[in-house]
Amino acid sequence: MASCRRLPLHPFLSSTSARLVCRRNVQVEASTAKSLYPPILPSRTAKSKSAKRRVATEFFEQLRACTPQEKIRALTRVQRKKYVIYPQTFALNADKWYQHYTKTAYLSGLPEKYSASTNAAVDESVLSEVRSVVCDSLLQELWYLKKGRTFTHKEQEQFVTPFLRNIVCGLKNLLAKENSVLSQSSLDFDPQVNYYWLRGERTIPEGHRRGLVEPVRFQIDDKPHSQIRVPQQLPEFVPLEAEISTEVPVITLAPDLLPLFRRQYDNNIFIGAKLEDPFCYGHTQFHMVPDRFHRNKMSKRGLSDQVEVSLRANGIASLFAWTGAQAMYQGFWSEEDVSRPFVSQAVITDGQFFSFFCYQLNTLALSPRADVNNSKKNLCWGTESMRLYERITDGDIVGLNDAVLKLLLQFLLNKPQC
Amino acid sequence: MAKRIIYPLYQLGNPQLRLFRPTFNLTLVRPGKEQPPDTVQFRIPMEMTKFDVRNYLEKIYSVPVAAVRTRIQYCTNKKRNHLNQRVKRPDYKVAYVQLAQQQTFQFPDIFPEKDKKHEEGSVEEMQEKFMEDERQRQKPDPRRGGVTEWFGL
Repeated sequence: MASCRRLPLHPFLSSTSARLVCRRNVQVEASTAKSLYPPILPSRTAKSKSAKRRVATEFFEQLRACTPQEKIRALTRVQRKKYVIYPQTFALNADKWYQHYTKTAYLSGLPEKYSASTNAAVDESVLSEVRSVVCDSLLQELWYLKKGRTFTHKEQEQFVTPFLRNIVCGLKNLLAKENSVLSQSSLDFDPQVNYYWLRGERTIPEGHRRGLVEPVRFQIDDKPHSQIRVPQQLPEFVPLEAEISTEVPVITLAPDLLPLFRRQYDNNIFIGAKLEDPFCYGHTQFHMVPDRFHRNKMSKRGLSDQVEVSLRANGIASLFAWTGAQAMYQGFWSEEDVSRPFVSQAVITDGQFFSFFCYQLNTLALSPRADVNNSKKNLCWGTESMRLYERITDGDIVGLNDAVLKLLLQFLLNKPQC
Repeated sequence: MAKRIIYPLYQLGNPQLRLFRPTFNLTLVRPGKEQPPDTVQFRIPMEMTKFDVRNYLEKIYSVPVAAVRTRIQYCTNKKRNHLNQRVKRPDYKVAYVQLAQQQTFQFPDIFPEKDKKHEEGSVEEMQEKFMEDERQRQKPDPRRGGVTEWFGL
């Protein structure tokens, strides 16, 4: 109280006294003043959410300075139960679910590069050579070679696998003079393609970790029939920041209802060759539809409308895994998103029907931490399945479809910009 | 097939098994957890298999079935009665049936909420009005802005 003070009070009575007039612009100086003290950070070892956040942030900061090998090792070291996604699946309507888990927008039809109006540049002589290669291998496997009937579930392996192998080999060597990148490419048979990523969150329902919020982990282990890897990246179909109106479908249900099953094993990220391989970018993958998903078998089970769905799911999952693994090999990951789009192509066939898919990876940031403000999405273009030939009679192919051959040719002639 | 008969094993060359009056009963239940729109949940007898469910629905009810998945729910044997004997709650089998041709099914609301309107002049109406007035009287003064009576002079 003022009455207890022994000091004189008259300096405070005047409003112009030295004590009351403040000559420094305190607010301005505070923002530009050099801080004498280190920044206030939350603790690193406390049992608090801010401490966990700080530990995670410091771990990710320290990862930015590592080599791609170390980044992949650090991100896949800890094993936990994860959902295993099979590209060739029996699950119904799997393509919508897979689109949600890979943040892919599916566009029917191929990009402008392959649309019908730009077909004029196809060379007739090259097309006729392609036609002869395809017809020769088709007749060889299905007519000239005397093959006995095998078990029902081994028919594709007996008839279609060697046909596809011959086509891929023959066309790659034929078109090496048209497309110089094919001559310095690597053709793998039965390669392994693996990818591991985090997407979305869930609350653990039971167990000693009950109530904790953790990210949902996914793994794709794919074995395409064959693939072509090249040393340079294919050109993008659409710029990275382009606005695409097609939306990514959103599924709010748990993955168990698809059905997807959880297992725990090595988290692998692999494009088909190890990190040091010079052919680290993907060109085209070739997939074969296995016997149990052949359209005859599906229609006998009453699932004729699921044939196209399963082809789309196969294309989306396989290509996302391949492009994602390529991006991880270059050092991009969820916190360091891709600065240029990664592009790959795929051809899925069951011997008679061919479908073509193109994939552009625009974003790898799918983990719950990185997906907060991410407006980019991956794009997948795909066609319906097109018949290559009607039937084979007396050493002659009836009803050969040239459109399929043209598309195959254009796919293989796709070359990176010099 | 039938509930209390040993399943006849089918071998190549046997005649096609035909049933004209199966003794199975299926119970359509509301799913406990949210299911996709094309999935229907049934409780089925333990002896039924996936193929039985598919044939049952397709032949008798002509429902196009795309996929059937089953599981057995084990119920507790821990509860004890007044004689301290363990009482088993019976197990049951659940089938999740996915419909073909993009059909969907939503379990209907069997007990919808009804706004109870008592008729004019009846005893219940007066009781309801009295209770409403009581509740209104017990509420604190709105002019005090949520501050309790404890604060004040």
